[in-house]
Order: sequence, then C-alpha cells, then structure tokens
Amino acid sequence: MLYIGIDLGTSRSVVSASNGNRKWVESYVGWPKDFVAKKMLGKRVLFGSEALEHRLALNLSRPLQNGVLKEGTDQDEAAVEELIGHLIELADAGPDSEICVAVGVPAEALKVNKVAIKNAIASHASKLMVVSEPFSVAYGLGALDNAMIIDIGAGTVDFCIMHGTVPLEEDQRSILVAGDYVDEQLFRLLSEKHPEADFSLNMVRRFKEKHGFVGETKRRVKIEAPVDGKFTEFDITEEMRKACESPMPAIVETVVDLVAGFDPEFQESVRKNIIVAGGGSQLSGLDSYLTEATRQFEPCTFTCISDPLFAGADGALELATDMPEEFLEKL
Amino acid sequence: MTRSSKIKKKVLRAVYEDNAGIPRSCHGKRQPKVVEEPPVADAGPRFRSKATLIAILGLVALVGLNFRLIMVDFTGPAAMQMADSPSLQSLIDPRLMSPEAVADFSLDSDRSTTLEPARMSWDSAAITTGGYDDMLARLGMPMADLFNLQVHTIVIDPGHGGIDPGATGRQGLMEKDVALDIARRLRDKLLMSGSYRVLLTRNTDRKVFLKERVAFAKDNKADLFISIHINSLPAEAASVNYVETYYFGPHTDQQSLELAEKENHDSDYAMGDFREVIARIGDTLKTEESKRLANAIHRRLYSSLRKRNRDLIDAGSKTGPFVVLLGVEVPSVLVEVSCISNKAEETRLSKPRYRDDVAGFLKTGILEYLEQRGYRRSVEGGKIQHVAKQEG
Repeated sequence: MLYIGIDLGTSRSVVSASNGNRKWVESYVGWPKDFVAKKMLGKRVLFGSEALEHRLALNLSRPLQNGVLKEGTDQDEAAVEELIGHLIELADAGPDSEICVAVGVPAEALKVNKVAIKNAIASHASKLMVVSEPFSVAYGLGALDNAMIIDIGAGTVDFCIMHGTVPLEEDQRSILVAGDYVDEQLFRLLSEKHPEADFSLNMVRRFKEKHGFVGETKRRVKIEAPVDGKFTEFDITEEMRKACESPMPAIVETVVDLVAGFDPEFQESVRKNIIVAGGGSQLSGLDSYLTEATRQFEPCTFTCISDPLFAGADGALELATDMPEEFLEKL
Repeated sequence: MTRSSKIKKKVLRAVYEDNAGIPRSCHGKRQPKVVEEPPVADAGPRFRSKATLIAILGLVALVGLNFRLIMVDFTGPAAMQMADSPSLQSLIDPRLMSPEAVADFSLDSDRSTTLEPARMSWDSAAITTGGYDDMLARLGMPMADLFNLQVHTIVIDPGHGGIDPGATGRQGLMEKDVALDIARRLRDKLLMSGSYRVLLTRNTDRKVFLKERVAFAKDNKADLFISIHINSLPAEAASVNYVETYYFGPHTDQQSLELAEKENHDSDYAMGDFREVIARIGDTLKTEESKRLANAIHRRLYSSLRKRNRDLIDAGSKTGPFVVLLGVEVPSVLVEVSCISNKAEETRLSKPRYRDDVAGFLKTGILEYLEQRGYRRSVEGGKIQHVAKQEG
C-alpha cells in the first residue's frame, strides 16, 4: 500500500508519499484551447508553472480560488481531479499500487465541496480521506489538544482550534483576506505610486514571497520593474509593509474571538499554543508582530512553523499512515 | 497508553467517522450550540428548512387545486415509500390525506396568505400533468429530499442463475456465477458500513424469474434495488469491452433495446400484469432517484475500472426498458459491469480479487449516492438490524 498525503491549496498543491517522494506544484491546471494549441504543446493537460507559462494557449483553471470550488463549474471539478491525478503521478505510484490518499483542503472547501472533492480523489485512489488543511497541519505537528492553527493561504486564512478531536464547525473560521488579497493591495499601491512602471499580479506575488514582512524593519525592499521596456529599481519598503499588514487586524480579531469562545478553563493553554502555518507564515517578523498585536487583550504566543510548504501534506501523510486498517477498509 | 496516543486514537476515529459519513457525537469539551428552531404552526411538524416548508405547503396547495392528480401519485410507489417513512408521516398532516380535508385546506385563505408570493407563482395553467412536472422542477429539490425519504434496505439482484447461465465467455466463465459472487461481496461490503439491511434476491445458483425478483424486493420493503449483470457482445466485437448502467425508461438506442430483450426473456409476467406496472412509468421519484443512483454507480465503476483497463469504453448511464427495473417500485438500476465476451476481461473476471474490487467500486458508488442524498446521516445507529437475508 502506498500512502499519500496531499495539501490541495489555492496557490500551491503539495504531495508527500510514504515512498519518500515530496513534490509541489502551483495549483494551476490548463487544457489546450484548440487543436493548434494541443499540437503545439503536445499534451492533453498542463500543470503549475508550465500551465502558467503557456496560459495564452490554455483554458486555465485555478480550481480553489477563494478557498472553494466555484459552484456549478465543471471545469474546476475536473481541474481538481486532474491536479490530484498529477500529484499522485508525482508521488511515483506504480500502476498497480494500492493507494491510500489523505487530502487536506481549505476549511471552507471541506464544508461546501466535500462530495465533489471526494469524487475527484476517488477516481485515483481506492481509499481516501478529506480533512481541512489546518487540521492536517495540526495532526502532523502533534498539536491535537488545546492548540490553535492559523493557516495563512492564498485564498483564505483558516483558523482552527484543536481540542483532542476533529474540529467542529464552531472551532473553525475562515477569512478571505489572505495571500491573494495582499497581492492585490501591493499591486494597487505600487501602480498608484509608480504609474510609469509595469507591474503584474504575478510579479508582485514574487516580490511578496521574497521580501514580505510585517512590523518594523531596517532593511530596504528594492525591486526591479520595467519602465518603457527598461528595468528600473524601486524602493517598495513602505508599500510592502502596508500590503503585508493589511490582513493583520482581521487575523488578530478572529484569534481573540475564537479563543474567547473556547472553554474558559483551557483558554490560557490555547493562547500559549498558537501555530501559524501556510505560505503567509513566511512573512518576516510575523510571530512577534502578532504576539505584540494581541498584547492589548490577553497575551498570546505565536509560533511560525519551519516548513510551511510541506507541513500540510506531511500531516496528511501521517494521518493516512496512522489510520487503523479496520477503518481504512471501510473508507 | 499515554494521553497523547489516546487523543490520537480518538482523532483518527473521528476522521474516519467524518469521512465515512457516520453521525459523530460531540467529542469536544464543549457541547455544540443548540439553536432553537421556532415552532411551525401549532405543534406541527418541524421542517428541515424554510424552503422545505414552502415547498411542502406549495405541494399541499396544489393538492387542493387538483386532488385527482395528486391521488395518482399518492397511490403509486411514492405513496408506499411515504407510508413507510416515519419522517414523512411526521411531515404530512394525516387530515390532508382525505379529499375533504384537502378541500378545506385549499380554501383556507388565511393559511394561503402565509406563503411567500414569489414562491407561490403556480397558476391554474400549471395544474396539468405537465404542469405537475414543471412544479416539481420549480421546487428545486428532488422529491426524495422534499419528503425526507430514508434508505434502510438495499436489495442486490445477481442476474440469471440455475439453468439460465446468462452470457458465457469464450473460456467458459458464466455470467450467473460472476454476478452472484460480485453481489455477495457487495452485500458484505455494504453491511460493513453498518447502516443498512442488505438482501440478495438469490444466494445460490438457482433460477429466479424476474417476477420473483420484483416480488422479493417488494416483500422486503426494498428502498434501493441494484441488479448486477455482465455484458456480452457478438464474436465480431470480441475485442470491445465497456461498462454501462441502466435505469428504467425508453431505450435510447437499438443496442439497449436488444440487451433489454435478452435480459427480459424470463420475465414470467402476463400482459395483465404489465398494464399495472406500466402505469407506474411516470413515477417521478423513482425515475429521479434511479437516475441519480445509476449516475453515481456508473461514474465510480467506470473511472475505477478504467485504471485497470485503458481500453474500457464508457457506454454511459442511460435508460432501458428492463422488466426488472420497471417492476420494482423503488429507485433501481441494472449494472452491466463489463463484457465477458472480451477475453482479457473474462480472465480478469475469473479472479476473486478483481471481482472484489468491482464490488468495492459498486459499494462506493452506492454510498456516494447515499451521501449526496444525505441519507446516511439520517439513519439512527442501532435501530436498523444489519441482516443479510440468505435466500434460496
């Protein structure tokens, strides 16, 4: 049996398998628009950066944009199915391997698209489980009791309080001011300040991933962008700080609100055990910024995980591996 | 066992229950918030949602406007399902089942005015048979949802048997044996889900007439009926292998008609019987749910088998005039798993592991259908006896 953990993210999808393979791909799926494109590309479907590179020749789908499958869009469901199949291929599962897959998806998608996602996975695996991304991260880290996971993704920031079981509806919250929102803010700020320069959303996302930070910093963020075709250097420190801090008030408010709703006897334990995961956890200075921001309420301790890219997939893999045989048989 | 491993075990069970669609008790330290629903009318039934309430009242209003039309449906198979459904009995006020009460209700202007005008746009022109279908379409939900029908008993029907071998492969493998083996495995797998009573129309190699199969389903109050067959094609198409799933309806192509003739040959029905059963063709609930069930099973079976055999053709989920599907009063499908006339497929079908996988795919398709319908959540554990009735 090959066990596979998958983190199906809005921005990146990651696979981690029991045979040691660990891969990731940007969550883009593209089908050639016509027979010319198909002949040129030589493939039925393209994924990730390759799909982005050839996007003009493709019907491109980013299936979990905003953290959910868009209602009634067959293309997005098909894209999830293709993406899962591609990730399983990346895991190098042999054609005759029996496969057990655990997939972490954005919390909101788990609520509204569970059946569609299960269907998409089921065509590739004989045994499958679907859980929320923050839960799979928590499982992988062993943070199963009196802990809060904040998964800052591209489409959503998912919050989840763990109290020794699968989180219930009221233990979870999602907000839409996440990575994509930061990109839009940064794009807007840069376009307003430097109208002469040409920016694109992809460019500003790369700037953010390389230089993103919150709070005070002494270093300057300098990037290059084309002006009339010539690359020119810009100092975007202030714009970067403003954009990256834009989701913080909503995050702090949600943390305080969720903790306040938890059993009073265990609130203190949760406050001391808040784990920040997802791509957004890589913003420089994030843990100390959030710790400082919650000081005015009851002090909280935030810890950013060291390997946010693979934490969800590794957790899902551990979940699949740990699942008792008698349960697996019925899944 | 350490505290952390205990928690892990509990979490794993919860993940399993969550994914298997099993109702989960609150494991947390806190109880989930209980939201009190406002009472509906005087000590009346509690509806699942406002939309359901509006739909039910709309249907009842229609009853008032054209009682004769509704009587057709309340005496058909849907009525039998309704009569067996405690949740439905709680939804429909018994007084409304009498013509007088219906007339009273429809003339009660006070109650009528409580309905939302936008939802009550059905006019008298809509009150025809065609209008009835139209109204159902406008409800925006399947009848099974509307009436909150439950699934307790699943009848699996292995095709052929005894002196009727069905199709025979070139290596001598017989359809009746493969169908029975897959059916038994499917029954065992469904029983493992712990939520359904699962019965076989035959559990030995014996001849069972189609009429007997239909009667068996009826006598045992089947809620779903799944007939399992293996297809066969003429020698000139021996290399072809496909999977197809049928629910009752007019044939969509000549091949479906020919297949139906082949599978219907031992129906043992008299013409008089047919008049009665043909009157049931228009049963909206059965058709709706049979189609959904067929789609779910077919999608799962084809996509899974396709991984083993890249040449497998998807012949689709479609309607066909099969007697066994016509006679059974509940959602019913006939699955032609694959083509035994294809030599490679015959070899695969001869292997227990492959047949077990086929049974697993069928089970998954059925459970996906049930999960989509939300049936599994509404089954109360312990109330249903998990019995495999071994008949024959």
